[in-house]
Amino acid sequence: MLTKKGKYGLKALVHLARLPVGQLAFVNDVATGNNIPKKFLDAILGELRNAGFVQSRKGKDGGYRLARPADEIKVGHVVRVLDGPLAPIPCASRTQYQRCEDCNEATCQVRHLMLEVRQAIAEVLDQRSLAEMRDISLDDLSVARAIDDLPVAGDIGDLPVAVKVQA
Amino acid sequence: MTGRANSIIIVGGGASGVVLAAHLLKSPNPDLRVTLIERRPHFGQGIAYSTLLSAHVLNVSAAGMSAYADDPGNFWRWLQERGLATAEQAPFYAPRSIYARYLGELLDELQAREKQSGRLRLIREESLSITPTASGVEVALANGTSVVAHLAVLATGHDEEPAQGHAIRMGSEADTALPPDAGVMVLGTGLSMVDAFLALEQRGHRGDIIAVSRRGLLPSPHRKGNPIKLDVADIPLGTQLSYFVGWFRDLIKENQKAGIDWRDVVDGLRPFNQKIWQNWPASAKRRFVEHTKAWWDIHRHRMAPEVYARVTEAVRSGRIRLVAGRVVDIARNGEFTVQVQSRHTQRLETFEVARIYDCSGIVRDISTSSNSVVRSLVDRGLARPDPLRIGLDVSAKCEIIAGDGTVSAKILAVGPLTRGTFFEIDAIPDIRVQCARLSKQLLG
Repeated sequence: MLTKKGKYGLKALVHLARLPVGQLAFVNDVATGNNIPKKFLDAILGELRNAGFVQSRKGKDGGYRLARPADEIKVGHVVRVLDGPLAPIPCASRTQYQRCEDCNEATCQVRHLMLEVRQAIAEVLDQRSLAEMRDISLDDLSVARAIDDLPVAGDIGDLPVAVKVQA
Repeated sequence: MTGRANSIIIVGGGASGVVLAAHLLKSPNPDLRVTLIERRPHFGQGIAYSTLLSAHVLNVSAAGMSAYADDPGNFWRWLQERGLATAEQAPFYAPRSIYARYLGELLDELQAREKQSGRLRLIREESLSITPTASGVEVALANGTSVVAHLAVLATGHDEEPAQGHAIRMGSEADTALPPDAGVMVLGTGLSMVDAFLALEQRGHRGDIIAVSRRGLLPSPHRKGNPIKLDVADIPLGTQLSYFVGWFRDLIKENQKAGIDWRDVVDGLRPFNQKIWQNWPASAKRRFVEHTKAWWDIHRHRMAPEVYARVTEAVRSGRIRLVAGRVVDIARNGEFTVQVQSRHTQRLETFEVARIYDCSGIVRDISTSSNSVVRSLVDRGLARPDPLRIGLDVSAKCEIIAGDGTVSAKILAVGPLTRGTFFEIDAIPDIRVQCARLSKQLLG
């Protein structure tokens, strides 16, 4: 699952992706502009630098900028660096696998489905670049709201059983 | 073009050409026409499998060498059916000449099967050039004739660049008989050097062999194991090289703590190697080729344990000397006086040798290729080298990219020529997957 760290990191990168190529941003501006605690952001940007997504310059005029064009950096690249292997639930990861104390894996249908979800997450996040995320327009955001509202707007046949009973 | 491309010329009838033809001919399309053109006397051999030496075995065990992506056990069964290997011998490293026979028989069977349909045609001739025409492509042959089709696929395999300077290629015309005790220098310490050593042994050569490469690294031996299971969700994609290498080293360490051999980790990464490569920024690719590839290669491209035992014994006894350094000067005075500067001490060391073999196996620049088809495509701007110049620039769908960036719908490429885009595409297990995908792309 996407942690706060992953979310803040993506917001910071979108902030940098909006700047003219090569221009540096002050950490303070990125922090206040996106509601990110400054100390946390410092740590996040440090990790993103180690992975080669951002470059920094020290000093009075110092700051951060993207190390590569925003269309080359995929969202999945960033999330793996900040949050580790993509997995909706710890038992559905191979390298960061953690057994669930409370269930039997051999018979756990939840885990089975979550393995499929893991593939879907990777597919979406590895297709989308920072540039695409940056260019999501307000129109798209309203579409997203519509998707959120779908259970109410959609056809009754598509609704989960519990909702149908209520309807 | 897709869906209507019924006639396809494959330029190059070595291993990758035969594997591609086999996959294309799986299509039931009765209008399909596959023309396979090879300049050597035998199909299915190329450079890789033309050696007759029984000590020259495959560097991949038989279980991994099937020609068919959807039938991985095909070669292993073929060997057992002919009594050439038994199940107990696994992992079995077959002589390369046997593998050439396997591909030759496979092609014979396809020919017999397609005799009535006329869907397969073999031409023994050198191809000179490929030219796009209004309706497809025309391939000019050395005998003055030409063949036409809807599209052409380059499958010319490993490029045979001219040997550097005074060095010669093993098995070439210049490779005349040597006195048994003559000192020999080999440029390269990889799998080609090992092949050269085995060939020299076979010829009764007993002299010293000085093997020189930048790092002087010898490839590792295979060991029985099971690749660990990884998922693309685990692998950091698109990072800088140092970050990736750090992750991979940690992964090996963790697995070793659990008693798992590093080979199983290296092999576990294999299904994702192309994806990793394609997601790297250009700077990471360049750094990898310059600094990391030599280390990667000795762990990833290994040799049969028996071969390793012979080579390491020769190193221990002093017959082979591995030198990390670079050749700075070669003077010819009947023999060769070669000065090598050590990588570690910077000191110069002088060697007197009777012959220098080029086993460096490095593609220095594809545009100077000795293959006339490749060179003429680049010269006419119909193709261009990839950014690292290790192959031709091709799209993710194997289409050749012209000098002006246009993607060709009519000229495609498979195998080692496409390594700029696909990275590890030198060995059958990777090439057969590429051929299966391309067949599906072209014929549905």
